[in-house]
Amino acid sequence: MRLRKVLRISRWEVSRTAGGLDRRTLGFAILVFVLVAAVAPFAFDGGLYDELYVVGVEDDDGYHEAVERADTLRAVEPSWSAFSSGDIDVLVRDDIHVADDQKGEAAVAELRDAARRYNAGELAEKDPDAAFPVSVEINYVDRDAEPAEPGDTFEPVAEEEDSEDEDADDDDDGVDAPDAEEDVDDGFSLPSGGLGGIIGQGGRSGTPDDIAPPFPFESLILAFAFLVPLNFVVQAYSTSVMNERIGRRGVLMLASPVSRQEIIAGKTVPYFAAALALVAAVAAVVGGGWRSVVAMVPVLLIFLSLTFVGAMFARSYKELTFVTVFVSVVVTSYVFIPAIFTDIDPVAAISPLSIVVRDLQQAASAAPASWYVFSGAPLVFSSAVLFSLGSGVYREEEMFNQRRVPHKAVAAVASWLRRRASVAKVSVFLVPFVFAIQLLVVATLFALPVEVSLPLFFVAAAVVEEVAKSVSVYAGFAHSVFERNDRNAVVLGAISGAGFFVGEKFAHLAQLVGLDTLEIGRAALGVGFDVSPLVLVALFFAPLVLHAVAASLAALGACRGKRGYLVGLVAAVVVHVAYNLTVVGLVA
Amino acid sequence: MIEVRDLRKEYAGHVAVEGSTFEVDSGEVFGVVGPNGAGKTTTLKTVAGLVEPTSGEVRVAGDDPADADTRRSLGYLPEESPLYEDMTATSYLRFFADLYDVPREVADERIGKTLDRLELDRRETRTGDMSKGMKRKVAVARSLVNDPEILVYDEPASGLDPLTTNYVVEFVRDLADEGKTVVFSAHNLYHVERVCDRLIIMNEGEVVARGTLDEIRDEHGGVEYHVETTVPVERSEPHDGNHRVVVENMDEVESVREQTHDEGGEVLDIRTREPSLEDIFLDVAEGT
Amino acid sequence: MRSPRRLRLATRELASLRAEKTVVLALVIQLFIAAFSSFLVVGLVSLYDPGAGEVEFAAAGDTDELLEAAAGQDSWDVSVYEDRETATTTFEGGGADAVLLVERTDDSVDVDVLAPRGDLRTTLIVTAARDLLERLEDAERERLAAELNVDAVPVPEGGASPYHGFTYAVLVPVLMFLPVFISGSIASDSVTEEFERGTLDLLRASPLSDPAIFDGKTAAAVALAPAQAVLWLALLVFNDVPISSPVPLLVLVTGITAVAVGFGAAVALQFRERKQAQFVYSVGVVGFFALTFALPESSANTVAKLAAGSATTATYAHVAGYAVAGVAVYLIARRFGGRKLS
Repeated sequence: MRLRKVLRISRWEVSRTAGGLDRRTLGFAILVFVLVAAVAPFAFDGGLYDELYVVGVEDDDGYHEAVERADTLRAVEPSWSAFSSGDIDVLVRDDIHVADDQKGEAAVAELRDAARRYNAGELAEKDPDAAFPVSVEINYVDRDAEPAEPGDTFEPVAEEEDSEDEDADDDDDGVDAPDAEEDVDDGFSLPSGGLGGIIGQGGRSGTPDDIAPPFPFESLILAFAFLVPLNFVVQAYSTSVMNERIGRRGVLMLASPVSRQEIIAGKTVPYFAAALALVAAVAAVVGGGWRSVVAMVPVLLIFLSLTFVGAMFARSYKELTFVTVFVSVVVTSYVFIPAIFTDIDPVAAISPLSIVVRDLQQAASAAPASWYVFSGAPLVFSSAVLFSLGSGVYREEEMFNQRRVPHKAVAAVASWLRRRASVAKVSVFLVPFVFAIQLLVVATLFALPVEVSLPLFFVAAAVVEEVAKSVSVYAGFAHSVFERNDRNAVVLGAISGAGFFVGEKFAHLAQLVGLDTLEIGRAALGVGFDVSPLVLVALFFAPLVLHAVAASLAALGACRGKRGYLVGLVAAVVVHVAYNLTVVGLVA
Repeated sequence: MIEVRDLRKEYAGHVAVEGSTFEVDSGEVFGVVGPNGAGKTTTLKTVAGLVEPTSGEVRVAGDDPADADTRRSLGYLPEESPLYEDMTATSYLRFFADLYDVPREVADERIGKTLDRLELDRRETRTGDMSKGMKRKVAVARSLVNDPEILVYDEPASGLDPLTTNYVVEFVRDLADEGKTVVFSAHNLYHVERVCDRLIIMNEGEVVARGTLDEIRDEHGGVEYHVETTVPVERSEPHDGNHRVVVENMDEVESVREQTHDEGGEVLDIRTREPSLEDIFLDVAEGT
Repeated sequence: MRSPRRLRLATRELASLRAEKTVVLALVIQLFIAAFSSFLVVGLVSLYDPGAGEVEFAAAGDTDELLEAAAGQDSWDVSVYEDRETATTTFEGGGADAVLLVERTDDSVDVDVLAPRGDLRTTLIVTAARDLLERLEDAERERLAAELNVDAVPVPEGGASPYHGFTYAVLVPVLMFLPVFISGSIASDSVTEEFERGTLDLLRASPLSDPAIFDGKTAAAVALAPAQAVLWLALLVFNDVPISSPVPLLVLVTGITAVAVGFGAAVALQFRERKQAQFVYSVGVVGFFALTFALPESSANTVAKLAAGSATTATYAHVAGYAVAGVAVYLIARRFGGRKLS
């Protein structure tokens, strides 16, 4: 790939796009922006939760004023009939009556907050100091899960039930800062430098209301702001790629002395640069630093590469719209779900967005360097594979036809195949995807009880893995790269299965991330339990046999055409699931 | 200049070109002729480096056209004129000059000259707003933007009105006279007859005839005899108030003469005519 | 016999969506979002779940009022230690979930909280600490109110769970509006595609009037979003999220869809190229949604109230407004667009 050519194509792409977005378009965008900016002050006034709950209360009741002051509540005339018909969620009449449903519970929680605010407000009028009589400082401390020494525990001198009998006050401990310990034990927190000894969000003080649980809600919402504008870039990028395919326009660039990789790179660079600029701009606005920008690079790459493949496969703009929305949803879920656990669980290291969240929290301990690798490497690798897959169909023969998506995908996979050993290469290529899809499955099944989620997961995992292993063999047969015979099928299946096995073992390094703390995560990664070494060795190599046998089954089907492939695939999945269940039974 | 040996191209399931072999010499106009689906376009695409052969070999000036750099000396004109419709003619041509590493000044001069020669004035119009003929001219200009030695033109006159067609055909002849090697395909044989030095005829993926026009004529169709009679005879058709029958050799001419006499009529005229390429083409196409 | 032809065009649009299996993709997207959001909701609930076990607090200092505030609740357990040293050591040894160090001065109570970091239970622990300290604050305020002669209201019992509010105020609006955005996008694509492929003239050569072509190209898109909304609502009800007024909700969604589709198609007719059309469309629709937040009731809030059953007359007036806006924008786009076709 020659950089000069790539940049030349990029330059033209930029000038064409700039020329395309003419004054009218920009004028319109500016108009909308100005309009939105003009109404923004009013807009922020009307929150999402406004008057969501209805409280029946008399005008002269103290609660009436409390309800009036609360945005989320609406006061109405109290009436038993409205209460029983569900039109009133909380009825204040002598006593407080709460509707017996989730809405009622939520409503009374809001009323509680409203009453507390009202009391504080009333007190503040007489004496501002009296409004907030309790001040709290919260410090987060790392501690070992297991007691360091058993003798360290002390007997309490009092408990809440018998609060009468003891006044356990101690005057000597003053107001000096708590000496929080620095037990950096989970491998992910950088030593905090020791100054002041406060780790995490640092000492925060305020009223009890100010205590925010370490669910990084605000930072998460801000992190979302990084993802949203990317959709605009991706939209333009997908159109640009798609346009090369409409009316065979791209054929002339293919006929010129530039390679297709140079064309693809040239067309992608400007959008990558634009996306990076957007991310940097968002970071500047929401208060992120260079860490956020660096962490987002793999996300941009996976976004663009998925879009590229989608634009190479889609047959019409309409289909393209669905594809881009789909890509956007998948990428967002993939990076967002683990980021929810940023401060809580090592599973967060899967997502680059966790680094952004940490960065936005201005945490004393930034995300460790290892997170960049764990979260970024699979995405960068996957996007490289995706670009390679897409460039497999960026050819005169494939890019202009209206074939269905599966056909295109198979053609793209076939473009990777040269000799038999290539199927192993493809299997290794696909491991990160298999892994990513399985993680998504874990995320979606997480909510269900283990008895349901585990078998479901086994089936899903088997389907994904078997498809990944056999698709190259099928593509090879369909595109006449290999001769269709049973011997070839068995050999190719075995090679592919072995390749997958090797790739999977590399992926198991991901266990270092600590994913094995989730029960279902352990299932995703295979085995790693406390069993005898002999069983472990057997269990280590058993998957090799499994992968080879199952892949050969699917391959035998694949050499008999599409329908045969389906049958073979089902057989392979059945074998795979049976194996998984046996292993779980064996170990558990 | 161009060598194609045992070219075979298979698209998922069907064979587009089967064992075609030919050579094109420097400075000649070479025609690739055949009905729709004969494999002409696929053949030209492999020469242009757009399609990789399933087997066989294609060499352009001794190199593989699948290598990007080989394509530097090629000018390819596809059957349609797919342009970037958001660009003006000038910026479109500049873009491609850039891809072919033509320095800006050289490119601007060349573009100006070519467009003058093609008589295209509306150079700052977006190509999307142009008529079909104008678009074709821009496409032709694009194929010349790198001043290539070899031109690969797929149906250069397809879909154009007779006037523009004529213009393009003349243009191809002129290019050859300037010393460029031109390979082009056509199904309108009139043009091929006018400009080709040598040609191949393809049918169903195979080369069925090759050589100069004269050689092909000698090989594939001898002379025809047009016999005009006053009375209808076997296989005769009405012609200018009389009847005419076309036969292929003198024995048949004799039998027509006898029949006419038996019917009491007389033979008015016997004329010979050389077969046109079209006749040969139809002959070959039906024969295979 | 104009309408059957129009219908045929609309049928073709639907058929092309079906042929491309894009509807399948749309459903997959739907399922994905469903899984994603259910994960969010369940995740939120499990993080805040008060039933997830008792939280053990180790307290030291002036703990009398704290113990009083803590009484009568079984979601936590407060043990008082000799001094801060012993309480902290117990906490570090795993004998308690958090430490509360209370110090009473003349006019205020200062509390230092030590909570574990990097623990799945942290959210639960900190939430419990907050609830406990809020009770302490309430007790203090009650005492001060009596002292200062202020009329304070008793604070009712109620545990904060973000589940209900999040579902109705955030999730339902997102689920209702996302398909709308896609619908308009499809209408725009459907038109620009005709231009890009040069097939619009074939349609215009047919005996269809220009408005009929417009209707035919957009009908499928207008139908898509409400259909998806129905599916969503069914899914929500199935998941024990009751929807109070589905019909006005659908009217609202249809109205906004008509705005988006009319606008999308008109923009496509104006710009004729996808890149520009999609850009203008996206900016325009985002702008439209932003503008609805300037209304007395934002669009999201209207949806939330209709779904949760807190609708007022104003809410229904808003729904009617969206319906009128939908019809108006669509008709204007159709007129303006019909002219642009030629």
